[in-house]
Amino acid sequence: MKNNIEAYLVQLKKELAGCDRATIQDALSDAEEYLRNALANLRETQPGVSEEAVIPSIMEEYGTPIEIAQAYRKIEARSSPSMIIRSRRDKPSWFIRFFYGVIDPGAWGALLYLLFSLVTGILYFTWAVTGVSLSLSLLVLVIGIPFAGIFILSTRGLALLEGRLVEALLGVRMPHRPLFSNTRPGLWNRLKALISDKYSWFTLVYMIMQLPLGIIYFSVFITLIALSLYLVATPVLELSLGFPLFTFPDAQYYLNGWVMPIAVMAGILLFILTLHLAKITGNLHGRLAKALLVRK
Amino acid sequence: MSAKKMDEVNKDFQKGLYTGISVLILLCVVDRAREPIYGYQIAKIIEKDNADIPIIKLGTLYPVLRSLEKDGLLESRIDPSVNGPPRRYYRITELGTGTLGQLLATWDRAKTFIDSLMIGAKDEK
Repeated sequence: MKNNIEAYLVQLKKELAGCDRATIQDALSDAEEYLRNALANLRETQPGVSEEAVIPSIMEEYGTPIEIAQAYRKIEARSSPSMIIRSRRDKPSWFIRFFYGVIDPGAWGALLYLLFSLVTGILYFTWAVTGVSLSLSLLVLVIGIPFAGIFILSTRGLALLEGRLVEALLGVRMPHRPLFSNTRPGLWNRLKALISDKYSWFTLVYMIMQLPLGIIYFSVFITLIALSLYLVATPVLELSLGFPLFTFPDAQYYLNGWVMPIAVMAGILLFILTLHLAKITGNLHGRLAKALLVRK
Repeated sequence: MSAKKMDEVNKDFQKGLYTGISVLILLCVVDRAREPIYGYQIAKIIEKDNADIPIIKLGTLYPVLRSLEKDGLLESRIDPSVNGPPRRYYRITELGTGTLGQLLATWDRAKTFIDSLMIGAKDEK
């Protein structure tokens, strides 16, 4: 039977099967906070009491894994994962769905995220590379190991922040609180747990990958946006300002008058397509973030 | 009606009532605390004030706390602790204080309503 904290958490995780991973992570860290604090509290009044002896009564107060799982499911069903409203389930024609992209807050959020990812990419990359190289080079000194520990903890904090950003702009549910490592207290044990945790390494990989990805996202989407704006603006540029469509090598090329409406329409369509592409890319990136930053 | 049945109905009623007002309870506790307060402390306060009948499972309060934070009524930060897992400290926001005022007004109205029903019932006797 379940009469220690680890077993309780395992059971709770089982009961939450099918829930969002981030919800599971939240539920587990809430339960662990309560159970460990309750245990520590009881041990203050009755020193030397064994975990197995008191856990059943603590669990009685906290609730069985089944009850707790139900409570989290209820809350999850009530709250949508982000400030972006999820698009409706019933599918209108593809034509309407295509133009819906213009007013789809999810698409604009994704576009914003992708453009911004260049900035976050530079920050994460610099932080990760500096941290790793300093940790490695300081390992020969006494302060090397604590330094590595603090650095890994800092990446977890950044991962949590990135999660908030991903949830708000990409609409992918991410954890709101960190999951503690299941170790007994003690600095050395915690450090060992941090280093042997594969999610510490996944977080680093994510942070380093964010730079190349950010560069790609930024250049592709800036190019697409610029091109579509340029196409929309051709009549103004050519007719009133006299700018050529392009100059190659010395000859200046202009659009024929009758092509201009087509160019404007192409520009508008390209912009809508860009928004859709942003949404799809954002979705994929959200999945990547979830796979690397959220514990399964 | 047998005593057992009465107990059962009463228990159901209590459970529903306390689940319904859990938002009010949590906002009250967090508001009353002078300093930011973490989940286990909140649970202890509620348990202490309500020791005779353990009606609400303390674990079901945590998801409510989380949804209150999501709605902007509470805010929180995480602090490491010396001998356990990190703790999430909650504090009430301005929006939360305002909401609490409204909820308390609603609660007062409900109480007055029940009281007036009771007086009416006594008068009829």
